[in-house]
Amino acid sequence: MTPAPLTEDGPVTTVGPRRTEPPTPVGGPAPTAAPVHRESARPRRTRQRHRPLWMLVPGGLLTLVVIVVPLLTAGYISLLDLDQYSIRQWVGAPFVALDNYVEAVRASHLPHAIGVSLGYALLATLLTLPLGVAAALATHDRFRGRALVRSIFLIPYVLPAFVVGTVWRIILQPDGVANAVLGQLGFAPGLWLNGPRSFWALVIVQVWTAWPLVYLLAVSGLHTVDPVVHEAAALDGAGWWARLRYVIGPYLRGPVSLALVISFLHHVNNFTLPFVLFGVPAPRDVEVLPVLTYVESFQNFRFGLSAAMAVLSLVLVAIPIAVYLRAVRLDTGDEGRNP
Amino acid sequence: MKARRTLAGLTGLIVVGLGLTACGADDGASDGAGSTLDVLVQANSIYPEQQRKWFSDVSAKFAADTGVTVRFETFASPNDELTKIQTSVLSGQGPDIYSLGTTFTPTAYATGAFVELTADDWAKVGGRDKFLPATLGISGPEQGREVGVPFASRPFVMAYNKELLAAAGIDKPADSWDGLREQAKRLTTGGRYGLAVAYADSFDPWKFIWAMDVQAGNPLVTGGTLRLDDPTTLAAYRSYLGWLATDRVVDPASVGWKNAQAIAAFAAGKAAFLPMVSGTSKVTLDASAVAGKYAYAIMPTTPPGATALPAQGRPAASILSGDNLVVAKYSRNRDNAFKLIKLLTDPEMQGTYYKTFGELPTNTEAAGALSGDPTLTALVESSSKAVGTPFSGAWSQIQLALVNVVVQSIPTLSAGRIDEAKLRSLLAEAQKSGQAALDKAK
Repeated sequence: MTPAPLTEDGPVTTVGPRRTEPPTPVGGPAPTAAPVHRESARPRRTRQRHRPLWMLVPGGLLTLVVIVVPLLTAGYISLLDLDQYSIRQWVGAPFVALDNYVEAVRASHLPHAIGVSLGYALLATLLTLPLGVAAALATHDRFRGRALVRSIFLIPYVLPAFVVGTVWRIILQPDGVANAVLGQLGFAPGLWLNGPRSFWALVIVQVWTAWPLVYLLAVSGLHTVDPVVHEAAALDGAGWWARLRYVIGPYLRGPVSLALVISFLHHVNNFTLPFVLFGVPAPRDVEVLPVLTYVESFQNFRFGLSAAMAVLSLVLVAIPIAVYLRAVRLDTGDEGRNP
Repeated sequence: MKARRTLAGLTGLIVVGLGLTACGADDGASDGAGSTLDVLVQANSIYPEQQRKWFSDVSAKFAADTGVTVRFETFASPNDELTKIQTSVLSGQGPDIYSLGTTFTPTAYATGAFVELTADDWAKVGGRDKFLPATLGISGPEQGREVGVPFASRPFVMAYNKELLAAAGIDKPADSWDGLREQAKRLTTGGRYGLAVAYADSFDPWKFIWAMDVQAGNPLVTGGTLRLDDPTTLAAYRSYLGWLATDRVVDPASVGWKNAQAIAAFAAGKAAFLPMVSGTSKVTLDASAVAGKYAYAIMPTTPPGATALPAQGRPAASILSGDNLVVAKYSRNRDNAFKLIKLLTDPEMQGTYYKTFGELPTNTEAAGALSGDPTLTALVESSSKAVGTPFSGAWSQIQLALVNVVVQSIPTLSAGRIDEAKLRSLLAEAQKSGQAALDKAK
């Protein structure tokens, strides 16, 4: 069979009674406005001029207080030599310009921590993708007990991180359940909470807690699939892979890529899990960015150096966000059309 | 978004402080009756109920004496306490009195946020001479510049299984680390191990290394110099890691143990010696399989590789361990704070505190009342032979560097030998970071 050709507007079907709006990345219903024509762009710009922008002031103030001011403060602290000796009059701490940044990059474990963080975050993100999508597809069709299965799927996601960390810590002890099971299966038991295997322990536990997020967003994506296209695919005699790839895939692309970006950021910023699993000082193989930043601040009291690390990690996580925003063009009023 | 939350965590408190720094009043004006005193102490995980009752008893007694209400707050971990101190120091408001662990006192002193007691202030808490001299060892860098009033003493000792020792024909625990190793080798049989040691604990390892170093004549910090590159430190690590790697006198699983797991192993009768525990372990042990079969002894005071104390060595049986009470400079309630500290460190309350929580008094008279108790002999002896850790604002960092050497060594130990080259490079790294921290110390 030849799969239905794809356009920007989703799959073109032979039986479609109406045009399907492209899936929106937020997972909400597509706008119900009449099909937008290029000619309507100008009147809309005129309309924009009269929008009551002053209504954004409360939200803007809140953003200023909650996000902008702390961010600027962090930026300022990262330029100071702030430590346990100067914290009492922190404004008067010596100004050292970019010394903290130089030290962070050259003379600290930061580059190593960035490598570990990115490596494990990428691995965990890639591993959660097939798990989440498969779980969503498996529970998409009605069957007896579906609600129960769906609830069970969410358990890893709703458990507090420190609970997950503590339970896995017990499982992964040298004389714990994990090694006992491995021994039964004929594998060599090993050290999971220190040494080279600790990196894989972190990836495994992170995947275990994070896949339900991909699953949730994939489910929401599946809900937007028009039943008509399933009929059309069935009429055309498409196999399951062709259906997944060409019929359901385009609907899932938005929500799932959002899930992947969110998961990736969550992995990079995850402090609780590595902290509870491995403690501080962290074994070198799992010395991730947030834990390093924490240790510099709250164990070594190098607040300036730690703030510099935090700013650098912010820059780091801003990159995937920027890429994602460009990809989905959330910042344009245009409905996802190529300019 | 978590990134922002992390940043906000680092900085939000500082922003709050920005508006409030100016309010940090440094004059100890007293409000007299009718006001409240805020006290921050560590939550007691062993006796939570008793602690709540003790809070209300103290509060009632102090209210009857002075008309001032005492409000107790608890923190769960030293890190919680640190966060609380940071926010309070920045904002100039918070608890009036903090209870600080002894090893954290130098760091707290470095912030300059706590009242240095004058002769007058010492008189207000009942006189400096009412305390056991040893317990004053970490109250400040020198006499006359002290911030901490000793409140409770928790010296470290070693528990041993009397039955197992008797069965092996050993009459008492050795007083040197080498001797203890030999005894542990004899006691490691049939699924039992000579020692129970928590290699994955965040604090235990440095206490062993520090004690062995001090006994060998290296107090680690002399003036502004750190001496982790000294042969004594290498020997201490070899001895401590050797129990696991080459002597095989500890459970191989102990590479993942925290202190509580080591106590549990000893309580189950799986180990003959349990070094580096305080008297608070009594509760667990008395309710376990080894109840009535164990006793406490002081840990060895002769360093590894020696049969007698070297000329420069000090017979440190334990770090100076326990709690100090400090008064915040921003407190508007300074006089009442000293009154409360006097109440808490007077013989009566000290006796009550010992009976409730099993922590030894710092008050000479209250301690004297316990000297007849044979079960406390080892604890009292350890308390008198305890040596204070270096009084430096950089000590927290040095402590972390010491533990880090153990953490990073563990993966190579399972091979059954100590990787000398790796150990040396880890020690060099610890020396470098610790010395850098010392250089910044003011």
